Amino acid sequence: MGMFHEYKTTISAGDTVIIYLTPDSMYPLTMTPGAVQNNKFGSFKHDDMIGSKFGTKMRSHTGRGFIYLLHPTPALWTQVVPHRTQILYLPDISFISSYLDLRPGKIMIESGTGSGSFSHSIARTIAPTGHLYTFEYHELRATTAKQEFEEHGLSDMITMEHRDVIANGFGKTDLADAVFLDLPAPWDAVKAAKEALRKDTIGRICCFSPCIEQVQRTAVALNEHGFSDIRMYECLAREHEVRSAPVPDIETAIGGEKVNFKMSKSDRNKKRKLEAGSAEPSGEESAKLPEVLVSKPTDITRGHTSYLTFAILAPVDQQ
Amino acid sequence: MPMEVDQPQTTTPRISAGDFVLIRMPSTNTKIVCMKPGTTISLGKFGSFKADNLIGQTFGATFEIQKDGKIIAQAPTAFDNADDTEANNKEINDDPTSQKMTFEQIEELKLKSIAGDVSAKEIIDSLTENNASFEKKTEYAKSKYIRRKERKFMKAFTPIEPTVFNLCGYFFEVNPGKIRGIRPDTLSQLLSLANVYSKARVLTVDDGQGLIAGSLLSRTTSEGMVFAMHDGDVSNYDVVRYMKLSPEDKERLRTLPWHRLDHEMTPFTEVLPENPTEKDISGYERRKRGHARLASNLETLRAGEFDALVISTNYNVVSVIKRLLPYVGGSRMVVVYSQSEETLIEAFDWMRHSPEFLNVQMTESWLREYQASCSAPSHVLPEDA
Ligand SMILES: C[S@@+](CC[C@H](N)C(=O)[O-])C[C@H]1O[C@@H](n2cnc3c(N)ncnc32)[C@H](O)[C@@H]1O
Repeated sequence: MGMFHEYKTTISAGDTVIIYLTPDSMYPLTMTPGAVQNNKFGSFKHDDMIGSKFGTKMRSHTGRGFIYLLHPTPALWTQVVPHRTQILYLPDISFISSYLDLRPGKIMIESGTGSGSFSHSIARTIAPTGHLYTFEYHELRATTAKQEFEEHGLSDMITMEHRDVIANGFGKTDLADAVFLDLPAPWDAVKAAKEALRKDTIGRICCFSPCIEQVQRTAVALNEHGFSDIRMYECLAREHEVRSAPVPDIETAIGGEKVNFKMSKSDRNKKRKLEAGSAEPSGEESAKLPEVLVSKPTDITRGHTSYLTFAILAPVDQQ
Repeated sequence: MPMEVDQPQTTTPRISAGDFVLIRMPSTNTKIVCMKPGTTISLGKFGSFKADNLIGQTFGATFEIQKDGKIIAQAPTAFDNADDTEANNKEINDDPTSQKMTFEQIEELKLKSIAGDVSAKEIIDSLTENNASFEKKTEYAKSKYIRRKERKFMKAFTPIEPTVFNLCGYFFEVNPGKIRGIRPDTLSQLLSLANVYSKARVLTVDDGQGLIAGSLLSRTTSEGMVFAMHDGDVSNYDVVRYMKLSPEDKERLRTLPWHRLDHEMTPFTEVLPENPTEKDISGYERRKRGHARLASNLETLRAGEFDALVISTNYNVVSVIKRLLPYVGGSRMVVVYSQSEETLIEAFDWMRHSPEFLNVQMTESWLREYQASCSAPSHVLPEDA
């Protein structure tokens, strides 16, 4: 047992494994006895994978390349989940989870479930004593998500309900520590959210909206329903690239040598070695230009920019 | 069939005796105080109240302080940090000539207010009554004016739960050096990337006084563990004590000094002198317990197979990873935080070229807070800019 909410050592039939080829090429695979997996590196038998350890590096039968059998995690799942909808990415998932103070034992409500990207992270964080009630009104999405939760060993922690939460509310009262709304009109679900939040302690809500007009309407609704401490954020993660850049001494240029700064490190060193020929005493050493590691942020950030609106609901005691 | 779930045990719904609480004042400054029964908590010009009166209340409500240190919960206000930088500014800026009360009269009112003889509302009422331009203001400007005055005169406060997120935000504001400058959004990413969960056994190096070690504790349960390496002889995880963790939770934080990493245990051979004094006995017992603890911690570390390695260190990152990687299980996450990219670049490059790691990434968290008001939909401005 266990998988997305708990590590295990050995791969068994039925497990989801993340097949890693390169950083940009990963996909999930359910272990099915007898099945064969083909990809650009060759073919791989599930039966060879079953019984091996998570993390194993596996050579293809044709010997064309390697794959790695990674243990699934909610973060990896977010990278490989089949998109049925827009999904939440890790920066938002992380920020929301800690703002809402999710940890083992918390009760959470989420709608809509969408592709279940966030649901996996929530379940992992609140397991095993907490619970996620997630609601989706699109029937196929609800069924697909429910099936995934089962396959991923999460059905004890997640109750998936096919339901229109704007028309019918959550059907929960005085239960949740936190509510998360990722809906086109979150303001229409604020009343139901208030009802579902625990009355004996502080409740927290987060609404996710791609445009600022939605944020405004949500803030108005939150205010009207007695939520306080309304805060709005935008959260992203920028990836940084590192490479080693040649920084030759100016004497190199004074000596008349041309350095190709655009060439890759190994090509440049090869070329210099060739040019230096055998006349040079220690070809290897002198072929190397002095280098420094430099980094710069990559331009593109994964996922679209959206706004996170947070608020709290503090029960005011009757006095 | 949906399962019925018991109320969670980890959430204590109310403020209890001995808790640390973040107290946000009308100025939006925050301080951290301990709810020691019988004590009086002073908030300077915002008054003082008896800790006993806050014990048993909920976090997040706003309380007004009464004359005798009693507190009364207020109706919630949506925007505690509503800004004054908007277009309507010209209307809400005070024209000093429109105030009919003298400086001395206002100062006297303030003193009375601190003594508890006059309420904030009374001060604000006299200010608005004596302000010639107040009635000419728009409703929006009036409410802004009142809110600004409230922030100045209200003797009120909001107790904020010392969640990991809130504590991180607090220390980032008041003493970032203590926590190695980690922001709440960055800490959040670190926790998700490390894939911490209830049963995880996490190995960590936290030279930021335990904020990270404590947050790892809060995401694990009695079936999990946090194992922290520290320099010197004794660890300094000061931040952990502000977190709402049970004594059992704190027990799960196991520590080992770096200088014991390669230590070989020898049996405990000390013997008590004849006719030992009480002091002899207690010293002997303490050393014996220390010896047993060290043995057990070394055994735990050397059993390895940790589920994550989380690092925030003043030492060379590559050297730290090299020493600890043997204790980490396969297909697990290694996460390193640093405030400066320079200290990570070398580690990134090394990990990228090492066959031990896959999918090495270096990311920077980016966060912007916006301000919005419910009454003026066009006014959404970035917080910084
Ligand atoms: C953007 S997706 C959610 C993505 C999700 N957060 C994730 O990370 O995968 C929004 C979902 O809300 C669902 N939805 C919209 N209105 C709803 C309603 N009234 N009740 C329940 N679900 C609704 C949509 O069908 C859609 O699947």
